[in-house]
Amino acid sequence: MSKVLKSFVITLALLALVVIVPACRPKPPVVAPSATTTSPSVPPNIPPTVTTATAQPVTAPPDFVSPTTDTVAVETLPNDIEELNRVAQSRGYIQDAFFEYNESTLSADAQAALTTSANWMKKNPQYNLLIEGHCDERGTEQYNLALGDRRANQGKEYLVTLGIDAGRIRTVSYGEERPFDPGHDEPAWAKNRRDHLVLVGK
Amino acid sequence: MKRTRTLLLSLSLSTAVLPLFAQTDVKVFIDPGKALQVARIAVPRPDTTLPLEKINTPFFAPLTRDLAYSGVFAIAPIPPNIPAGADLAKAASAQFVLALKIEPDGKELIVDARLLDSTGATQFGKRFRGASGALPRIAHMLANDLVRAVNGKPGIFLSMIGFASNRSGNFEIWLMDWDGANQRQITHHNALSILPSWSADNERMVYTSFARGTSDMYIISRRGGARVRVPTGLNLNTSATFSPISNDIAFVGSVAGNPDIYVVKDDGTNIRRLTHESSIESTPEWSPNGRQISFTSGRSGSPQIYTMDADGASVQRISFEGEWNDDATWSPDGTQIAYTSRVDGKFQIRIADLATHLSRVLAGEGSNEQPAWSPDGKWVAFQSNRSGRWQIYRMRIDGTDLLQLTFDGENKDPDWSKKAE
Repeated sequence: MSKVLKSFVITLALLALVVIVPACRPKPPVVAPSATTTSPSVPPNIPPTVTTATAQPVTAPPDFVSPTTDTVAVETLPNDIEELNRVAQSRGYIQDAFFEYNESTLSADAQAALTTSANWMKKNPQYNLLIEGHCDERGTEQYNLALGDRRANQGKEYLVTLGIDAGRIRTVSYGEERPFDPGHDEPAWAKNRRDHLVLVGK
Repeated sequence: MKRTRTLLLSLSLSTAVLPLFAQTDVKVFIDPGKALQVARIAVPRPDTTLPLEKINTPFFAPLTRDLAYSGVFAIAPIPPNIPAGADLAKAASAQFVLALKIEPDGKELIVDARLLDSTGATQFGKRFRGASGALPRIAHMLANDLVRAVNGKPGIFLSMIGFASNRSGNFEIWLMDWDGANQRQITHHNALSILPSWSADNERMVYTSFARGTSDMYIISRRGGARVRVPTGLNLNTSATFSPISNDIAFVGSVAGNPDIYVVKDDGTNIRRLTHESSIESTPEWSPNGRQISFTSGRSGSPQIYTMDADGASVQRISFEGEWNDDATWSPDGTQIAYTSRVDGKFQIRIADLATHLSRVLAGEGSNEQPAWSPDGKWVAFQSNRSGRWQIYRMRIDGTDLLQLTFDGENKDPDWSKKAE
């Protein structure tokens, strides 16, 4: 639902640009502020895709009436790989898979996250994937490195069964070395037991 | 004559230390049956024309610390204004007096040390020459000599502890002296680098670094500093550890998400797989004679300690208490294994006797992990987060004389050099 809203807002912003840019050509600095202020609901961690869109010719306005299509967002993926990963994660194209304590089997939720990720990978064959296996701090460092390796590989194997070429996926285990949440309670630990999916260039 | 010869050998390196003169026969004058007896020793401040503050921190403090922790000497309080000799021994109720003299000689210093008995007779004497930067090393060498003179075995005061520290940004491999002094960074991968492990000759360390974005095994030499990646063709390459008797390295390798124990030659050739379970296998460690390897396995459903022969045969389970055990490491005499063991929800250092399978827990605050034996088997270094951050500590194997060794950033993965000297 929020995804739909986001792409709708972005579409609006794009439309605004298409309309405003020619009119304001003598004073381009005004464009960016006015464009960004029209999309206040875009989360701050999403890079200003609107301004990058101006660099590419927008030949026809996207279908304003049926904003459920993701075409605009796909077209405006950032070139910078780190920004791309932020966008892909925040829009849910690529989703991390989470694990139970000392487990490497994929739960139904983890499988759903990987299925979503696989669908996007299929539509975007220009990218490869790095799967980082992570663990919470409750285990020991050395065993957790091995556990993270198993978690990463479980994610990889599942993506392969969904039709992703194994050659597009690399794995690495960080064990408990790089927690996402520095806390020392179950909510933090739950976030830290994961396969973190990272898009990489080919 | 002897002096002339050693002077010719004098090195220009700032940290080089050469014994200038040593009695040819070091007498072991406490009979071996009484070797464990602690001898009182009076150690007056060195006789020197140099300002004492130039002597105290780099030399006198580490020397007296070493002697106090030696298990061989006890430092006797000294009454004032009595010169080193029989009178001082008597006044301090000491069996020994250590007479120290430090004088500049050009740009270097000469340290003259004499161990006097209660009659004032010299039982042991040695002279050292070195730049002022070498004073801590001279202190440790002298302490080693004094311990050897009294009980026939060298001290461990020149041993070093390798560890991982993130104080300069990423975790990198660092070294420190046994007392926590002289902490220095020895790798500069600018990437996560962890789990250093010494070779038997103290010359090399093998460790894991993520410098290439994958986890790889590297070897760094203490002299020369070159670092070499050991290609294995496998994933993980963690928990690497040198064989005490060959150029083999045991490590955790993974194929298709199945971590197992492997052995590889230090040039990356002759890879052999030792375990063939579908469970997680991790954390290999050689027995001191190189014939066995301990490791951690999840085959029972939880991580537990096992041993096997160096070819993978004769697997035996060692740990039965607690639902998470890891980081096993053998005592230098091969009779005990120290490991990380979860006790009442927290990790503690446990020491198990291999013959009786009896174990004891050295409990402390916080989580306590990754024990590493000192080369004489009397101490363990370990990491604890009891201060809120991971730091490295040292304690005797009975849990006494606890000392925090690191304070900057976070510090972990201690491994004690294998040779005493």
